[in-house]
Amino acid sequence: MSDSLSVEREHTPADARRNSIELLARGERSTFGQLSVAREPDGWRVAGPATDAHSATDLPADADTVRAHVRFDESGRYRPLTGALTLPGGWACCVDESSGPALAVEIIETVYPLAVHHRDAWQRGDLPVIPLDDVLSRQSGRYGIAGQLSEQGRSAAGEVLCGRCVRVPVWRGDRPDREAIPCPEPCGVLVSLCREAAVWESEGAPEPAAPDSAVAWAAFEEPGNEVREAYLAARYTIPEVS
Amino acid sequence: MTRGVLLVGHGSHLNADSSRPVYDHARRLRERGAYDEVRVAFWKEEPSLSRALDGCEADDVTVVPIFMSTGYFTEQVIPREMQLDGPITVRTAPGGPRTVRYTPPIGVHHSLAQVILQRAWEAGATGSEALFVLGHGTPRNRNSERNIYEQAERVRETGRFAEVATVFLDQEPNMSRIFELTEHDEIVVVPLFTADGWHVEQTIPEDLALDGRQRTEQQRRLRYASAVGTHPGVADVIEELVREAWAPSLALPGGAR
Repeated sequence: MSDSLSVEREHTPADARRNSIELLARGERSTFGQLSVAREPDGWRVAGPATDAHSATDLPADADTVRAHVRFDESGRYRPLTGALTLPGGWACCVDESSGPALAVEIIETVYPLAVHHRDAWQRGDLPVIPLDDVLSRQSGRYGIAGQLSEQGRSAAGEVLCGRCVRVPVWRGDRPDREAIPCPEPCGVLVSLCREAAVWESEGAPEPAAPDSAVAWAAFEEPGNEVREAYLAARYTIPEVS
Repeated sequence: MTRGVLLVGHGSHLNADSSRPVYDHARRLRERGAYDEVRVAFWKEEPSLSRALDGCEADDVTVVPIFMSTGYFTEQVIPREMQLDGPITVRTAPGGPRTVRYTPPIGVHHSLAQVILQRAWEAGATGSEALFVLGHGTPRNRNSERNIYEQAERVRETGRFAEVATVFLDQEPNMSRIFELTEHDEIVVVPLFTADGWHVEQTIPEDLALDGRQRTEQQRRLRYASAVGTHPGVADVIEELVREAWAPSLALPGGAR
């Protein structure tokens, strides 16, 4: 990088992580989505949602181990949307004081990728936001048809999917509170739902089916998929308000 | 200046294991300690292609596609989603500019031929067999077959196998005719795929009528290797791509193209 391009950065991802590390170190940050983070005498405790079990399963404070654990919900179903409100409960990992709060931040970002940076950037007013229309209009190939989805379809898709996610869609204009994780850009799962919804608008809406929790979470083309059925109900069953 | 590497893979909304090789390669690179940071991004998972650079701390980030072919994803989707202009992009990052280097996919690098050989040997081959490099291929994009043939040619040039040929999952010459395509009694098939996913673990074994990892037919035996893209040696290929991206003038004609 040339010297002419070397300018002092006012706010970087490293700054965001440092800020969160400092807050963790002072015990001032307690939640991230469905995670709770507690300062303890000998380090930090990052835990999934509480369950009825008397004690949580201890996981090693290792990103690969935690990722492997949170990739599936409590019924063993793959969670392609990291922010989905299906984070398995009853686990915790303790980050030793000697490892430092940086490892706790790494664990948080393993569960919710980029969440630390995005929350910090949003609070500083420095988070680039990309709306759904822009994301859909740039799609191509199999997803090109998503750009043809109606306004009603876009709205319903966002309501159904984002209502199942801890991230707050600031791309839609929602305003997160200080503890929330902002979502600056529609994710690939929402684009996939919009793609299927556009196909349904083009070919005719499919018959609704009973929601089936055994169907893969993001298999929107499969009858019984819970998100699909919720979308079809929201988009086609409820009368539109004129 | 700090230097980082960002491995980008396809990922999946349906298969939880699809992205595992990318995470594994990232972990190996971190353990080697050659870069200030190593991160990952995916088309179908998070962190997404379009936002992954948000989280990078390095001033100079090299993006390496964990794909087997040059084509739609490496030429259209990744550059579009990551706003890349070409091999080098100076991009505005929060707080200042950043250099983003973009390499060819791992599948086109000459050093991957050594990983193909490793996979064949691990499957029990000794060199006396006919080695088939198995690519996906597609009749919709003839460009995707090119590097499959090139990798087979590199393996052939090593002279380590009696015969080296190419077959495809989704185009001719199709793997269903593999016994017709060689006169050797011993065959080893090496799938040039990035992950042990749906094709490598399900459709190909079914189509090849494997019994476990092999098939015998009239005194002839076919052995099926693991996917090339999951081999630990791919980390060496990534390091080569990054080295060439840092010093493009050092890239040799026989290197990544």
